[in-house]
Amino acid sequence: MLDTYREVVTPEGVSLHLSAAGPVPRALAWIIDFLIRAVVLLGMLMVLGLLGPSGAGYFAVVMFLVYWFYPVLFEAMWDGRTPGKRALGLRVIAGNGAPVGWMAVFARNLLRVVDMLPMGYAAGLACGLADPWGRRLGDLVAGTVVVHDTRPREPTAAPMHHVLAPSMALRPHEQVALVAFAERAPRLTEARQAELADLAEPLTGARGMLSVARLYGIANWLLGRR
Amino acid sequence: MRQEDFVRRHQDEWLAFEAWLDGRAGRAREARRARRTWRGLPDADMPMQYRRLCQQLALARRRGYSPMVTGRLQDLMQRGHGELYRTPSPRWRRAAEFLIAGFPRLVRAERGCMLAAFVLFWVPAVAIFIAIVRQPELSSSLFDQSMLASFESMYDPDSPIRKLGRESDSDIAAFGGYIWNNISIGFKTFASGLLAGIGSVLVLVFNGIMIGGVAGHLQAVGHGDPFWRFVAGHSAPELTAVVIAGGAGLRLGLSLVAPGRQRRIDSLVEGGRRGALLCMGVLAMLVFAAFVEAFWSSIGWMPAWIKYSVGGALWCLIGAWLLLGGRNRVHEDAAP
Repeated sequence: MLDTYREVVTPEGVSLHLSAAGPVPRALAWIIDFLIRAVVLLGMLMVLGLLGPSGAGYFAVVMFLVYWFYPVLFEAMWDGRTPGKRALGLRVIAGNGAPVGWMAVFARNLLRVVDMLPMGYAAGLACGLADPWGRRLGDLVAGTVVVHDTRPREPTAAPMHHVLAPSMALRPHEQVALVAFAERAPRLTEARQAELADLAEPLTGARGMLSVARLYGIANWLLGRR
Repeated sequence: MRQEDFVRRHQDEWLAFEAWLDGRAGRAREARRARRTWRGLPDADMPMQYRRLCQQLALARRRGYSPMVTGRLQDLMQRGHGELYRTPSPRWRRAAEFLIAGFPRLVRAERGCMLAAFVLFWVPAVAIFIAIVRQPELSSSLFDQSMLASFESMYDPDSPIRKLGRESDSDIAAFGGYIWNNISIGFKTFASGLLAGIGSVLVLVFNGIMIGGVAGHLQAVGHGDPFWRFVAGHSAPELTAVVIAGGAGLRLGLSLVAPGRQRRIDSLVEGGRRGALLCMGVLAMLVFAAFVEAFWSSIGWMPAWIKYSVGGALWCLIGAWLLLGGRNRVHEDAAP
């Protein structure tokens, strides 16, 4: 429940990293979708209201379609995202990491009926909190997951000033941390860079901006720039 | 190998793969049109390139390259994965095939649940009907007086010009109402099956009692003729669809309660898939029923024998469809 970060192994034997979305962003996305639906229905009500009794009939058909098929159509045709999910950076995917199919989307949205019981998505919330993937009942049955859909930023190369061999042997995860620092630090303020670099004082033997510069050097060495 | 050498060596492959994803993935029609002018990675090489990428990602992770490299590879891989393993988009031909053959096969495959739903719906309906016809005062314990009065006025045989079965609103308005109400009820009948099947049982029994009660009351007070003329046409698709939705719900509840040899979650996923498929058929049946109910059942001047024969024909057709549809094709799973 606390760890929302999940790995799925694909047929190629490589693990996909997915971060399951919790109830709060999903509820916000639902509210956005709800408002959109309400606005559409109000607009249709005003237009179709001019047609008298037959307008009421058309409106009931529109209401049916908006109520049951708004999420189905968007999630199936727009890469698992309704407008609300898109605004919150969420996406529905199949449990194996593949895009969702029509049947799964249809099933997960039909079963909202059960998730809404007894009121206000209480069943869905309870289920989502108990499930390690944060899935509500409809997700469980349809075999889908709602994940945070983060687009990676453009990779920036570490700044190239000088090359410095580290004074001690570094373990793999330490190397990863150093290279990641060198690639991300240029976007941070100098004070924050220095603060982070101070943590590596045993390695660099310096503090402040000098430590930052030495870390860049070590990262360059690790990256193979000689 | 150092990270920068690794990146330099494979950069071109990654760029070509990315260009392919940007240019040709996801938009099938555009991709077909541009297939002669496309100069990048050939489509046939995409799966191979994708598997190379997976291998490179695994290497990069193993060697502890920076998150910038593994992150980029993972993003490419995820997009390629989505492209390779997406479910095929639905086709009209397959939808028609499903309605004609796949759906009846699926209904027959779940015959146990369907039979249970049938009994749960029809036994209370017929029992209440017979009880009220014998003892008409029973109906006042089932419905309150204002409801009974509105039923009676809807099917009043003394106002023959009025449309059958409803107040004088237009056909379209009634059609919309039937679509919204009936299909929502059908979907909810299925979904509430997830509550260990109890929801579906309750909805089936409740609807059986209501329908049997209304029919019994109208029969008992002598408004039977307009009522039966009204319901003869659409009763076949509508009642059958409700029973099937209930059967699908029972199946879903059963996969929760008795998963058998499967893990419970796998059994639920399978039950949900089949249930959703069944709901597609239920949707089609109820849309058809709404058409019949709005534009045919309400015609007041039509002689009774025509209405009854059309209703009987629909019962026979739907029965034959469900019992015989798709019998000649044995090789295929019911799923579209």
